[in-house]
Amino acid sequence: MKFNIKKSFYDNKSLPKLLKRIVLVAFIILLVVLFNYQAINGSYYLKRAENNYVRAIPLYSLRGSIFDRNGTVLARDQASFNLAVFPYQIKNEKDILFKKLSEEAGISEKIIHKNYEENISGYFSPTNIIFDVSKETALILKEKYPKSLLVNSAPQRKYLKPLELAHILGYVKKASSLQSQFKKYGYKPLERIGIYGIEQYYDSYLQGQDGGDLVEVDVSGNVVGFLGRKKPVSGNDIFLTIDSKIQKFAKNSFAKKRGSLILLESGSGKIIALYSSPSFDPNLFIAGDNLTSLYKNKFSPLFNRAIQGAFPIGSLIKPLLATAGLEEDKIEPETTFNCKGRLNLGNNIFRCSGSHGIQNLEQALAHSCNVYFYNLGLRLGPENISHWLKAFGLDSKTFIDIPYEKKGFVPTPKWKKEKFGQSWYSGDTLNLSIGQGYLHTTPLAITIAINAIANNGYLVEPTLLKKIGEEETSYLFKKSINISQKNINIVKNGLRKTVSKNSGTARMLKNLSLGICGKTGTAQTSGKSHGWFVGFFPYKNPKYTVSVFLEKGGSSYQALRVVYNFLSNLKQNNLIEVK
Amino acid sequence: MFYLKKITRELSGLKTIIFSVILLNLISVISLYSSLHQQGQFVGEALLNKQIIWIIIAWLIFIIFNYINYRLYYNLAFFIYAFSLILIGAVYFIGYEAMGAQRWLSLGGFTFQPSELAKIAIIIIMARFLSHPPANSFLKSFCLPFSFVGLSALIILKQPDLGTAILVALIAFTMGLFSKINKKYFIWILILVLIAAPFSWNMLKSYQQKRLTTFINPNIDPLGSGYTIIQSKIAIGSGQLFGKGFLAGTQNQFNFLPERHTDFIFTVIAEEWGFLGSLFILLLYWLIIKKIFDKLKKIRDPFAYYLTLGIGVYFFLHVFINIGMTLGVFPVVGLPLIFISYGGSHLISTFILLGIFFNISRNYR
Repeated sequence: MKFNIKKSFYDNKSLPKLLKRIVLVAFIILLVVLFNYQAINGSYYLKRAENNYVRAIPLYSLRGSIFDRNGTVLARDQASFNLAVFPYQIKNEKDILFKKLSEEAGISEKIIHKNYEENISGYFSPTNIIFDVSKETALILKEKYPKSLLVNSAPQRKYLKPLELAHILGYVKKASSLQSQFKKYGYKPLERIGIYGIEQYYDSYLQGQDGGDLVEVDVSGNVVGFLGRKKPVSGNDIFLTIDSKIQKFAKNSFAKKRGSLILLESGSGKIIALYSSPSFDPNLFIAGDNLTSLYKNKFSPLFNRAIQGAFPIGSLIKPLLATAGLEEDKIEPETTFNCKGRLNLGNNIFRCSGSHGIQNLEQALAHSCNVYFYNLGLRLGPENISHWLKAFGLDSKTFIDIPYEKKGFVPTPKWKKEKFGQSWYSGDTLNLSIGQGYLHTTPLAITIAINAIANNGYLVEPTLLKKIGEEETSYLFKKSINISQKNINIVKNGLRKTVSKNSGTARMLKNLSLGICGKTGTAQTSGKSHGWFVGFFPYKNPKYTVSVFLEKGGSSYQALRVVYNFLSNLKQNNLIEVK
Repeated sequence: MFYLKKITRELSGLKTIIFSVILLNLISVISLYSSLHQQGQFVGEALLNKQIIWIIIAWLIFIIFNYINYRLYYNLAFFIYAFSLILIGAVYFIGYEAMGAQRWLSLGGFTFQPSELAKIAIIIIMARFLSHPPANSFLKSFCLPFSFVGLSALIILKQPDLGTAILVALIAFTMGLFSKINKKYFIWILILVLIAAPFSWNMLKSYQQKRLTTFINPNIDPLGSGYTIIQSKIAIGSGQLFGKGFLAGTQNQFNFLPERHTDFIFTVIAEEWGFLGSLFILLLYWLIIKKIFDKLKKIRDPFAYYLTLGIGVYFFLHVFINIGMTLGVFPVVGLPLIFISYGGSHLISTFILLGIFFNISRNYR
């Protein structure tokens, strides 16, 4: 077979011949393979096809567990027992079988039928019809219907400290309920995906890979041959920076109050406790119970107030404004303003909480004197104020590692013009200077902002992650706001005086002897006021930053009581380093 | 009467092809009817009716193309190529996804795969390039035509449609190999491809990688992508010499086989009609492909020559790769079995190519 390319192509008779031979050889190869399967090994395959059923038995992978910083389990997979059928085997007796099962397992027939329709994926694949029965029930039923039933243990997510950690951990859902939505991303119907919190944010690490056995079974359901196995791979465990004991005290300090509590390591932003009240039980989502009461609850327990809600912050703005004033050289530490309990601006009266007399910066912070900050605000002007509030990150996310974080909002004259078509009035400046009006931030964002004063001018990125599997995450991200150390110390002193001074607004915390610095806040709303406290301690070298927010909680006094109870509990139980 | 005589005369030598194709159409309808059963019940009436309509449309299109002078494609080669690129590009923007791959366009209720048109365009543009005596330079004689092919294949690969991308490349490669381009170039390219293979692995979608790894060892993932191959082998093997008979294929009837009315239709036939049935199918394909290559001897126009070569190669590769895939000889890449598988796009393009070939044949009797 020689192919001479020098010849004119259409004179070449051998080329078509060569092509035909290639095709012939290829077809003969196919025929040989076919002959091998169909004639030589035909009876073997026939046996496999006719006498045996091939069953795919899933081997579920375990999702990674979640631990706190001390290795206490917060969430893990537990075995639950499900009953499955093989549609092909029960095709003629389905209705009778389901009726009997419904009586014996005490589950409505309707639900069994519904589960069957939802989970069927092939005539030879096990189809779960009853979920989460006790081991005893499962075994009794299996004994009664050995041919039709398959007991199938599948991992089920269990949250061990549900109410305390619901907002942090989130929960998982079977992808089957979201099947159509997630199919295109490659999720199989049995997979579970994280929906909220850590379960969602670190889903790809927690997620295991399901495996399965492909086996052959005879008519009675006995395994007669093994065709292959894909081993399940467990997901990674995750360790959080949360201390579950502290988290428990956080929860207990709220009782029926609404709001949030955050405790973090000042220097690193590692979150030790983060609680949002009211909370919910994520185990309800796993069991698939009726959740309408949860969704309809007017206090929105699913809503994580610490990161998803933006609220007015009241006097918490004052340390930020003081920093701005010092940095912009609008005031000196010794600059004083005389507080007569009010400031008149045109026809409007802007009030103070008391008549403080002549106040310097330290005193104004300690007493939370509005008049001082009205004057400071006027000196700074709205552009400067919003510039500094943005520098403190009040209009951006903190990038904590749980999803659905909301941004705060810092108003500017330009924004007001565009939004309302109105100019920015001096009155707006005064309102902004005491944290009222259009300014809104999340409790976490203002905590991180005030933490920057504890932290020598660095904004930290808060994190909940300590390690994944065995790998420590030495992840620390911080951003400098460029404040001089001198000015930081001045503001810090003022914040210390709120607690240490007998006339300080946070003097309630004095007898804890933790060296707390901080700022209270009462933010007026349409209804009851929000109560705030954000602080850090010990004074010299801050280790912890704490914040409490009480939604419509009345005043900062209520917030201080929560802080006091919380910290005194931690101190009594030696959960924080006091020195 | 006279007209009929004329047609008969024109079709002399082509009757075998027509006869074979009609038989394959019949086999298609019969095996689709069987594959659309579930537990003994016929569940795919709508699909079957649609396919019968497709077959009728395909024959009409065949008759039209049979009368279009093939030289037209020479003049329109670049236009057709550009048009095919626009269509496969359009899939990104207005196409919709099926089974993890975005390769369909929808036109008034009928969907079609533009990559099918791309195959035709590549055959035409390659034939045009090859019909000129090759310049004695690597760039002009080799790189130029193959950069057209490469661009087209790359866009198809991105859809992602690995099967069609490979097929487009293979058709062009085979056409080039049997042309007067210096054979040395092909050896270089082959070496280059072997070197580049590990890198292009990363370009594949995860489901394509899975298909390739399970092809090497189906037991890696017996529940996932290995499943089809295992089930296909059981089905084919259990058909034995004479088959289980029409509608009696248990593997088929009980949903063991996914995609059994499209890419795995051969499995259904082999299970129900056995080795003899498989042999018969291969014989029909052999007759068609043999007749096409036989024609090469008579053709005096280089363009027609390479067009015919490309059409023959197209038919051959489709049959060889598809059947090889059901037997586990090739990885599951997602190619239909021409004339038999369910689907309109490949049916139309196969009949277009058949029409072009018939037109050439009538010119070189």
